[in-house]
Amino acid sequence: MTPASSSRMRRSFVLVASGSLVAALAACGGDGGGGSSEGETLVIGYSAGISGGSAEYGLNVQNGLQMAIDELNAEGVEIGGKNYTLKLESLDDQYQPSTTGTNAQRLVQKEGAKIVFVPHAGGIKAAQELNTTRDKFLLGAYSSDPEILASKNELTVMIPPSFTSYIDPFIDKVATKGTGSLGLLTTSSEFGQEWTKAATASWKEAGGKVLDNNNIDYGSVSDFAGPVSKTLAGKPDVILVGGPSQPTALIIEEARKQGYDGAFMIIDQAKFEELEEFTDPKNLNDSVGIAPLTEFDGTEDFITRYKEKFKSDKPVNADIALNYQSLPVFVEAMKSAGTVDDPQAIRDAMPEAVGNVDDKFKVAFAPDRISDSGHFVSDGLKAAYRNDKGKYESFPIDQPKD
Amino acid sequence: MTLFIQQLINGLALGGIYCLAAIGLTLVFGVLGFPNLAHGALFMVGGYVTYTLLVDVGLPYVVAIVCAALILAVIGVVFERLIFHPLRHAPHTHHMIATVGVMFFLISLVQEIWGTGFLRMESPFDGRMTVAGAQISTQRIIIVITAMVVLIALTLFLKRSVHGQSIEAIEQDRTGAALVGINANVVSMMTFAVSFALVAISAGLVAPIQLLSPGMGESLSLIVFAIIILGGLGSLPGAIIGGFFIAMAEVMASTYISVGAGQAAVFIVLMAVLAIKPTGIFGTVVQR
Repeated sequence: MTPASSSRMRRSFVLVASGSLVAALAACGGDGGGGSSEGETLVIGYSAGISGGSAEYGLNVQNGLQMAIDELNAEGVEIGGKNYTLKLESLDDQYQPSTTGTNAQRLVQKEGAKIVFVPHAGGIKAAQELNTTRDKFLLGAYSSDPEILASKNELTVMIPPSFTSYIDPFIDKVATKGTGSLGLLTTSSEFGQEWTKAATASWKEAGGKVLDNNNIDYGSVSDFAGPVSKTLAGKPDVILVGGPSQPTALIIEEARKQGYDGAFMIIDQAKFEELEEFTDPKNLNDSVGIAPLTEFDGTEDFITRYKEKFKSDKPVNADIALNYQSLPVFVEAMKSAGTVDDPQAIRDAMPEAVGNVDDKFKVAFAPDRISDSGHFVSDGLKAAYRNDKGKYESFPIDQPKD
Repeated sequence: MTLFIQQLINGLALGGIYCLAAIGLTLVFGVLGFPNLAHGALFMVGGYVTYTLLVDVGLPYVVAIVCAALILAVIGVVFERLIFHPLRHAPHTHHMIATVGVMFFLISLVQEIWGTGFLRMESPFDGRMTVAGAQISTQRIIIVITAMVVLIALTLFLKRSVHGQSIEAIEQDRTGAALVGINANVVSMMTFAVSFALVAISAGLVAPIQLLSPGMGESLSLIVFAIIILGGLGSLPGAIIGGFFIAMAEVMASTYISVGAGQAAVFIVLMAVLAIKPTGIFGTVVQR
C-alpha cells in the first residue's frame, strides 16, 4: 500500500467514525420523548448549568421540576378540554448568561416551550431581554436577587423569597446585633456581590462597622487559608460567608481552625443541610442562614419520596422543594387561563391559580399568593439560627409587601 | 506579624503545589517542545485517583498518593504512545490541539465516573500547630516538606541517574543526544511518566485543603503556565523559583492590598519579568 493510499484510508476512516459519532449523538438527543402517548406533549423548558463544575445545583432544580412533572402526568393534565403530557426539556448553559439566551430561544422556537425555568440571576436577566419580544414566553425565575423584579418584566415569575427579606432578621439574630464589625468573605459572583452590598448597607445602618471586602471566587481559589487569615486579621465579630455550599463549608472550617469563635451569617445560596455534609457540623454552631428543609412541618414525606425516586442519599434542600412546588402553579394557571400557548394569559391567571394547587404539592413555605410584580409570596417563610449546642432555632421571616 | 507568618506559610504551601505542577509542565515542554494544555485536567485526575485510593480502597494517605503517582505515570506512558508518538513528525500545533482534546476527554471521563459534584477528601494530618502565634495546619507543613523532598529527589534523578541525564540531554540537544545513542522514544515516555506523576502528587497534597471537582484544574492550569513562562520555558530551576515567587506574590498581594489584587499579582509579576527578560528568568529554550 502506498503512503498516500494509507493516509487516504485513514482519513476516510476518521470521517466514517466521526460521522457515526454524530449520528449516535443525534440519536441520543432524539429519543428523550418516549413517555405516555396520551394527548399532546406540552414542553416546559429549562436552562441551567447541568454539566461541569457546579452542576449539582442545576441538577437539583431539574430534579425538583421533573418530580412535579412526573406526578402531574401520573394524575393526568387536562387544559381547555384537552389532555396533555408534560415534558421537561433541559439545556445546558454552564451558567453563562449568553448561552441561557440562546437556549431560551431554542426552547421556545424549536421545542415550542411557552414556559422556561432558569435558576441563576445572570441567565434570568438575559432571558428577560427576550421573553417579551417576538417569541413571548413566561420565565420561571429561581433566584433570590431582587433585581429580577426591579426590571418590571411582566412575563417573569420570581419563585424564591428575595434575599433582602433575610438581611435584617439575620443581623438581629447574631449576638452583636449589628454593633460590632462585619467581615466580608462571600463568593465573588454577581449574586454574592449583590448580597454583600445589601448586607453592608444594613449593617452600617444598624450602627456597626464593616471591614474590608475579601470576596473571592469560591470556584477557583486554590487555598482558602489566605483570604480567611486576612479576614480574621480585621478582628470581625460576625462574618458574612456563602456561595455554593461545599466551598462555604470549607471556608467556615478554615476560619474555625484559625481560632475564630464569632458568628457567621450565611447567604441563602448555601444550605445548612449541605454544609453539614462537608464539615464537622460543630463548626457551624453560632451561624444564621436559611432554615433546613427539615425545620418545616411535614417535609419528611417529600424528602423520602425524593430520595427514593432519584435513588439519592444527598441532602434534599430548598432548591429542590421550591421548584417542585412552583411548577404545579404554572400548570394550574394554564388550566385557569384555558390556554397552553399564551404566556400573558397564563401569567394573568396566576393570582387565581396559586390557590388551586393541590396541597400534596406544598412542601415548605409554598406560595399562597403572587404579588403584582410577579413574586410568589408565602406566610410560612422561616430562617434558622444554629445555636452553640448545634440545635436549629427557626424563626419567621416577613416578606416585604412589594 | 502573626498575619505575616501565617501568610508566609500559606504562601510556601501554595508555592510547593505550584512548583510540583509546574515542573511536570516544564519538563514536557523542554523535552518535547510543546505545551501540554491538559496539565490542569491531569491535576484533577490525580486528585480523583488519590481520593478513590484513599476513600474507596482504604489505603493510607501517603500510600494512596504514591499509588496515584504510579497510576498517573502509567497513564502518561499510554498517552505518549497512543497520542503523541503518532504525531511526532507533525507540526507542534497538532500536539497542542491533541492536548486540548485530552483535556476535554479527561474532564468528561471524570464527570462520568465520579459525578459532577464536589468531593471532600479528609487528610489524616488534621492537626494544627502554633508558630509565633499563627495557627498553621499540619497539612500545609506536610505540603512544604513533601514538595522539598520531591524536588530534591527529582534533581538527583535528573543529575545523577542515566535515565534522568538522558532527559536532560534531549532537552539540551535532540540531535546530539540521538547521535550518542539516546533513545528519544524512551525519553519521551519517561518524561510523560515523570510529569504526570508529579502533578498527581501535587493534587494528592492539595486535595485535603481544597475540594475535588471536575473544574479544579482550570484555574491551576493558567497559573502554572504563568509560572513556567516566568521561570523560562523548559527550565527546571525556573519552575521552582517561579512557583514560589508567584505563590508569594499572590498571597502577599491579597493580604496587604486586596483579594482581587492577589489574583492580578500573578500576571503583573509575569509581565514585569517578561518586560525585562523576555525569555523568562532562566529561559534558554527557543520554541522550535
